[in-house]
Amino acid sequence: MTIELSRRGFCIGTALVGLQAVSSSAFARSEDGTVKLGLVAPMSGPNARYGAFSLRGAQMAAKEINDAGGVGGRKINIMAGDSQGTPVEGVSATRRLIDQDQVDFIIGDVSSSVTLAMQPVAEDAGVLLLNAASSNPKITYKAGVGGFKWTYRNYPTDENRALIVLQYAAEKKGFTKYAVLSVDSDYGRAAIEFTKKYLPRFKSQILTEDYYKEGEVDFRSVLSKIRDSGAQAIIMYGNADSTPIVGRQMTEVGIAGKIPLIGNAEFNTASSIKAAPKALEGAIEAAAWLPAYESEKSKAFVEKFTAEFREAPNNHAYVHWETVHLLAKAIEQAQSIDREKVRTALSNIHYASAVGEVTFDDHNQARLPMILLEIENGKPVIKGAYSAEIDYPK
Amino acid sequence: MFYTVIEQIVNGIVSGSVYAIVAVGMTMIFGVLRAINFAHGEYYMLGTFGAWFAIDYFDLPYPAAIVIGVVATAVIAVVVGNFVMQRIVGAPAEAGVLATLGVALILQNTIILVFGGSYKFFSGGYIEPVSLFGFTLAEQRILIIIVGLIVFVGLELMVTYSRIGKAMRAVSQNIECCAVVGIDVRHVALWTFILGACLAALSGVLTAPVNVSVYGGMGELITFKTLPIIIMGGLGNVRGTFVAAMILGIAESLVATYVGLQFRDTVGFATLMLVLMWRPHGLFSAQARF
Repeated sequence: MTIELSRRGFCIGTALVGLQAVSSSAFARSEDGTVKLGLVAPMSGPNARYGAFSLRGAQMAAKEINDAGGVGGRKINIMAGDSQGTPVEGVSATRRLIDQDQVDFIIGDVSSSVTLAMQPVAEDAGVLLLNAASSNPKITYKAGVGGFKWTYRNYPTDENRALIVLQYAAEKKGFTKYAVLSVDSDYGRAAIEFTKKYLPRFKSQILTEDYYKEGEVDFRSVLSKIRDSGAQAIIMYGNADSTPIVGRQMTEVGIAGKIPLIGNAEFNTASSIKAAPKALEGAIEAAAWLPAYESEKSKAFVEKFTAEFREAPNNHAYVHWETVHLLAKAIEQAQSIDREKVRTALSNIHYASAVGEVTFDDHNQARLPMILLEIENGKPVIKGAYSAEIDYPK
Repeated sequence: MFYTVIEQIVNGIVSGSVYAIVAVGMTMIFGVLRAINFAHGEYYMLGTFGAWFAIDYFDLPYPAAIVIGVVATAVIAVVVGNFVMQRIVGAPAEAGVLATLGVALILQNTIILVFGGSYKFFSGGYIEPVSLFGFTLAEQRILIIIVGLIVFVGLELMVTYSRIGKAMRAVSQNIECCAVVGIDVRHVALWTFILGACLAALSGVLTAPVNVSVYGGMGELITFKTLPIIIMGGLGNVRGTFVAAMILGIAESLVATYVGLQFRDTVGFATLMLVLMWRPHGLFSAQARF
C-alpha cells in the first residue's frame, strides 16, 4: 500500500514538473499578436450585477482600444473568469486564466476577500494583477514594498473612504454618535476598523455595532435597536442590494429622515432612492466615481456606455473601463508586453483618468481622490472631491 | 426596555409567520413522501418571480400578481410532481435527496438563465407603515400574519375533515395499509407536493414587498431556514411546525437585538443541533414516527 501510494505520488509529482515545464516554455505567450487580459469578477451569485458591469466596462474599453488600432499593434483580448464572489472560486478562476488561457495580465476581483486570495496566486505565477474595484487597504499594505510585487490597485481604499466620510459627518453635520450596520465581510468589517481608528480625532463614538450577512432581509430588530440607542447616523458599508431593504425597513420603524445613512452602499443610485426616498434623504456617501461627476472624459464615458447597453454605468463599469485604458497605456509606454517592463511602466505612470491624475505609490497603490455626495431632495448632490495619503503600518 | 422586548417579539412573529407557511408545506411533503424536499425554497423563489414578472412586464396590480405567482408555481409543481416526486414514493432515502437537490439546481439555474443573475426590484405590495398598539409595521406584514393564520386554520380543517386531508394523514402513517384499503398513494403524494409548493410560492409573494430584492438564489436561504423548523416541529407535524416557526422567528429577533445581527443565522442551526441531540423526534411528538 505504501509503495502504491508513493508511486502514485511520484507520478503526480512528475506530471506536475512536466506541467511546470510546459507553462514556462510558453514564455512568449501571446505569440498570436494579442494582449491576453484576464478579468476575474463575480459573473454569478449574489454579486453578479457587479460582474456584469465590470465586464461591460472592460469590454467597452478593449473595443475602443482595438478600434483605434490596439496597443502597439496588438489587439486586447479579454478573457472572463467567474469568481462567484467567493475566494475559492476566485482562486480557481485565476488559476484557469493563468494555466489554461495563458493570460499576460489579470484585472480583478470586485470583492476584497477574493482579491486577497488571488494575490499569492498571481505572485507565484509572476502575472500582473491589477485590481480595479476592491477597497480593503490590506491589499496594498501587502503589495509593493509590503511584499507582493505583482499586485497593483487603481482604486481608493476603505481607509481613505472611512476618514473622508467621518470627517464630513463630524465637521459639516456635527455628528458624534454613530450606529454601525455593515455587511459581514472583509469589506464591511475593515471599513469599520478604519472608522474606529479615526473616531478619537473627531471626539466621536460608536453606540451599537451590527453586521449583516449577505442576503439578509430582516433588519427590523436591529433598526429598532438603533432608533432607541440615540445614534445620530448609521454608518453603513454594504452591498447595493441591501440598501433598498434597509431603507424600506427604516421607514417602517420610523427612523427614515431622522437618522441618515452614511458610508457606502450605493445610496445615490436612482433605484435605491426610489425604493425608500424618505430613508435615503440626507444619506452621505463617498464614491470612487459616479455617473453625475462633472468631467469631460467621465461624461463622454457615461454617454457612450448608456448608448451601447441602454443602462447607465455604475462605479464598477467605470473603474474597469478606466483600468483597461490605464493598463493599455502602461503597455504602450513599455513598448512590449513583457510583464517586467509593463510593471515598471505602471510604477512610473502618469495617467490622466476621468477623476484626476493617477500615479502609484511604493505600495503599488494609486493615489486617487474620492467624491463626496449627499442626497438632497431625492437627488445626489456632489459636495466635492477629497483625497488622503495613506499611513502604512510600520 | 419592556417596550423593546414586546416590539422584538412582534417582529419575531412576523418572520415566524413567513417561516411557518414555507415550512408547513415542506413538512407535509415529508410526511407523505418520507423525503426532505431540498428544492422547497425554489418554489418560494418561483412564486416571487411569477409575481415580479406579472408586475414588471404586464403592470398588473399586486393581488393579481399573487394569484399569478402561485398559479405559475402550481403548474411547475404539477410537472415536477409527475416526473420526479411521484417516483420518490417508496424509493430509498438517497433517491429523494438527490432528486430534490437536482430539481433545486435546475429550477434555480433556469431562472438565472432566463432572467439573469442580477437582483430585481419588487415594486408591488402595501409597504406603508401603520401604527398598531404603538408599534409601526408595514401593512404588508399584518397581511402576512393574517394569511399565515388563515393557512394554518385551513390546513387543520383540511387534514381533519376533508377526504384528501384524511388520505394525507393515512399515507404519512402507513403506505402499505393505504394501498390495501384502496388509497391511491401516488395521487395523494402528487397533491400534497403541489399544495406544499403553492404554500411556499404564496409565502414568497407575500414577503417580496418587504424584502424588495428578487433573485435566482433567494430560495436557498429559505430551504436552510426551514430545515431546523421542520425538525424542531417534528417531521410531518403541522401544528408542531407552526409553533417551531414562531419560536425560531422570535428567538432570531431577540438574538439580532441583544447579541448582534451577525449571530441571527446561528440561532436556527444551534437549535437544530440541540434538538437533534436531545429530542431527535421533535419538540412535540411523544416519540419518533418514522
